[in-house]
Amino acid sequence: MSDALLALEGVTLRSPEGHLVFQGLDWRLQRGGRFHLKWVRGGGASAFLRLCCGIAVPEAGRMVLDGVRLTASYAPHPFLERGALGYVPTDGGLAVNMPLLANVALPLRFALNLGREEAQAEARLWLERAGLLDVAHLRPRVPADVQAWLASLARTAAKRPELVLLDRPPGGLDEQVRLAARDLLAQAGADPKVTMILVGGDWLADLGEPMTIIESRVLTGSQP
Amino acid sequence: MIPMSRTLPIPVKVASRLGAAVVAGFARVGAVVRLLFLCLRSILRLRGEQMPLMLEVTRTQIRFTALDALPLCFLTALLIGATTLLQLFGQLSGFGVESYLSQILAKLVIRELGPLLVGIVVISRSGTAMATEMANNQLSGQLEALRVNGVDPVRFLLVPRLLGCVTSVFSLIVFVDTVALLGGFFVAWLRLPVSFSAFLTALGQAIGPRELAATFFKAVIFGTSIPMICSSYALEVRRSSTELPQAVTKAAVGSLIFLLLSGAVLSLFIYV
Repeated sequence: MSDALLALEGVTLRSPEGHLVFQGLDWRLQRGGRFHLKWVRGGGASAFLRLCCGIAVPEAGRMVLDGVRLTASYAPHPFLERGALGYVPTDGGLAVNMPLLANVALPLRFALNLGREEAQAEARLWLERAGLLDVAHLRPRVPADVQAWLASLARTAAKRPELVLLDRPPGGLDEQVRLAARDLLAQAGADPKVTMILVGGDWLADLGEPMTIIESRVLTGSQP
Repeated sequence: MIPMSRTLPIPVKVASRLGAAVVAGFARVGAVVRLLFLCLRSILRLRGEQMPLMLEVTRTQIRFTALDALPLCFLTALLIGATTLLQLFGQLSGFGVESYLSQILAKLVIRELGPLLVGIVVISRSGTAMATEMANNQLSGQLEALRVNGVDPVRFLLVPRLLGCVTSVFSLIVFVDTVALLGGFFVAWLRLPVSFSAFLTALGQAIGPRELAATFFKAVIFGTSIPMICSSYALEVRRSSTELPQAVTKAAVGSLIFLLLSGAVLSLFIYV
């Protein structure tokens, strides 16, 4: 039990639309766990990821991430500050006033303390892996598209996080993008200690144990 | 069922609205002070390795707020200096006090007009841009995404705007004062037998420690309040893009009201 990376204690959460997602949920995410949560409309998967990274505010209960309480305020959290969490929201969550290259380089400079040139070289490398090098100088499209989501995944993979939370892409993926995304996920999860929760379609199913959210419970793998 | 507010007498309704406005005012002050606290805490916790990036963002902010505003400030300062001296000359020439024109102009520009003009320019250009950008970031969830991905939005977005704005407002006040005084001197030179050295001498007599203190304090207060007030309104945008223009308008009006109030209070403290 002491090896839990994330603990949810008595958490009650509603989706932005007001639906009850969990009530009094107690759940622990073990280090090194890899899970695939199949996305179903209204199933609460996105809300669950937002909860896990401290964006969604629970009505009740508390979350503890890496031994420190996680709140949705601007209170500093050591795990977040050192860039150990990689969250890829559906819309990418990129800064729209910065080119893709700067977006990917930003956490490398800010959280990992790389120099400007070093961070940009690293960002260029990861954007190339994502197949986005030719658009690296462009700003993300608004509203966000698959390109922004993939760039966000490259940003996450580049900083080699300890916890990856991947939300579904904003649209259908062609074969090339799927391959690039799987390659980035494989790179991000190369270290067996990396923990992942991947929300999406069947193309992600082999990357983690199945996870289900049902009646205020999170069921994983062989759990009844 | 008739709503209770319809049944209330008019004085009670007026008092109720007044009370609501006062409460909203205090809430705003609270929000601004909280943001300022977050910025100061963030500055204190700044790591040495983050300094180059922070300086880069601050430099960009200064370029936008100060450098890009120079042409507008030059034009308005020149015209204000010239027209103010014209008005002073028109009103005072009958009293034979033309020799004091430079001193009166200097006091007027340095104490009140310069800082006020700079405040208005910074609110209209940078304050509204900051509010729009921040509201957009808030609406699209970028601030949250930045935070969870290891980039503290207070440190990356707010602190450079605060530092950049204070530096820019101070620099612009010095620039505007200089240009306005030169504009005034040019008009005086056209109408009166006044030399540049005499003008400088009069300026030297007019500018004392109180004028320098006023410039410094107004720069700090205006430079701090504009980004904080604008950001506080912008961060309240929650659901819809229709809230965005409302937030920007409120940010500009709120900043302007604070600018006028704080300028007046500061002048009262320093000069009365």
